[in-house]
Amino acid sequence: MSRPIIRTENLEKIYGNGAAKTHALKGITIEIPRGSFSCIIGKSGHGKSTLMHLIGGLDNPTSGKVFIDETNISDLSDNKLSEIRAEKIGFVFQSFNLLQNLTASENIQTAMMFGKIPQSEHKKKADELLKLVGLSDKSNAKPSEMSGGQQQRVSIARALANNPEILLMDEPTGNLDSESEEDVLNHITQIHKTGKTIVIVTHNKDLAQKAEIIFEVIDGKLARPI
Amino acid sequence: MNLLKLVVRNLFRRKGRFVFTLLGISIGMASFVALLSLGGGMRGEITRQANALGANFIIMPEDVCPFNLIAVVTGEAITEAMHFEAFERIAEIDGIEVIPHLTRQAAVGELRSTIVGILPEETRRFREWEISEGAFFSEDSENTAIIGSNFAESRGLTTGDEITLRDEQFVIGGILAPNQSNDDVTLFLPLATAQRVFEREGYISYISARVDDMTRMEHYEAAILSVANVQVATDEQLLGSVLAILGSVNITLQLVAAVALIAAAFGIINTMMTAVYERRREIGTLRAIGGKRGAIFKIFLLESALYGFLGGIVGVAIGLSAAVFAGEFISQIGANDLLRGASPETSFSFALILSTIALSLAISIISGIYPAWRATLLTPVEAISHE
Repeated sequence: MSRPIIRTENLEKIYGNGAAKTHALKGITIEIPRGSFSCIIGKSGHGKSTLMHLIGGLDNPTSGKVFIDETNISDLSDNKLSEIRAEKIGFVFQSFNLLQNLTASENIQTAMMFGKIPQSEHKKKADELLKLVGLSDKSNAKPSEMSGGQQQRVSIARALANNPEILLMDEPTGNLDSESEEDVLNHITQIHKTGKTIVIVTHNKDLAQKAEIIFEVIDGKLARPI
Repeated sequence: MNLLKLVVRNLFRRKGRFVFTLLGISIGMASFVALLSLGGGMRGEITRQANALGANFIIMPEDVCPFNLIAVVTGEAITEAMHFEAFERIAEIDGIEVIPHLTRQAAVGELRSTIVGILPEETRRFREWEISEGAFFSEDSENTAIIGSNFAESRGLTTGDEITLRDEQFVIGGILAPNQSNDDVTLFLPLATAQRVFEREGYISYISARVDDMTRMEHYEAAILSVANVQVATDEQLLGSVLAILGSVNITLQLVAAVALIAAAFGIINTMMTAVYERRREIGTLRAIGGKRGAIFKIFLLESALYGFLGGIVGVAIGLSAAVFAGEFISQIGANDLLRGASPETSFSFALILSTIALSLAISIISGIYPAWRATLLTPVEAISHE
């Protein structure tokens, strides 16, 4: 394992105030090595998704710091944070979050709009990524014309669009049947072998068993790195 | 992939909403175009008609309402009348050439028509008329009528045809060559015949006067007023008065158009606000995959602008069609002769079309600013979390 590509220091996240105040994260400090396959596990509502949002720069911590490649993203402007998300991090969501009016290829190309790939290469690159996830024949299919597993594979291809170093996945198999789940996991494993750092938030024990590092979050606190 | 393509896809994703929003701004812009075209058309037509009179002075009965000046331009009947003797006295003033008119509206066949009684030779010389078909009035042509070219065409008349006017038969003796004035849509009778037919013996509606020396207009005006109990308007005053009245009409038309535009703007705001709310998850996804606030702002503003651009084009098409239809309709019902014979090309300038599309674009962009700004306020997490 090499130096950490993701590092947090004493992360705190509090939602709301007064009686509605919720202390979602309580002093989380973790290190995730470059090229590793990690899982963040925990029960629903215990803070694992919040941790992923903070690591991915989707939300700001109430206190504490998040470092991506030794850059403290907690201090960055919104535009800089967007650039980090576009270039260094790929997101995969439980419910795929594909744009329904776009084809598989266009969904992938949309992510490229925010990266540094020239527009003239978008289509070719999207085709390569679709081939990588075994969906070459679905280039012009819209999400409504694909199964859940296929949509999630398009979502993974989109996450890889700008060749990020980190893939953050929030319950990537949560909405899939067992056959599709196996298929998606195989693709994730293959992608990990290319050197990507993969962080998966899940409460799927089988999925967690595949990880090199497991972080368990219980009631907003880090219970274990295993 | 680029923002424009993404926006175009978004625009058509809900076809019903797209059509109705587009209709909203299209109808607003169509009202704007139609009302301004009608107003502009009327203004151009009035100027043309006034110039076609070929007169330096219009002399009317003293008690006639100034609003009736518009009737001189449009050929409408003037209910008040002045004695023919006044005309005779004015005609004796040196340096002034005058012709009398008795204008009335009456049905010819089943169509409302402008009938003007004239002194044939004097009027022909004064107005420099040419005959395109048949012959002009002769000395024994009491029951002969001369008609304008549009009058003949719209009623399918030619020389030798008979018409009935107030239960009297008249023969079409000749058709005037077109001169792009109200003469084209008028039926002319000898003055004495018109006076008898309309039971206004000894009376005329107004007098057109032309002077030899344009630098002595005040002198002529004083001379006219000294011999007859009349009111005198110069051609410039005539045009100014009519255009002033028309200006009020135009302002009203423009206010109506403005209301239509405001309604269209709120339609766009409503559509875009709904779109922002419905697409919170999409906004969150775009933000998560690296979209900056500026990109989100551009997406929604561009979408709004496209509504305006397309709405402007459709609105111009509908508006121009409506203006032509309205002009024809007004002409056909005979409520106003202004647009009869008016050429639509004179009303619909290329500048009006371009400025309408530009205005539509500007309104839609302004309308889109607030919804687009609201879209940028969404954080990725709250947008992604939205179900």
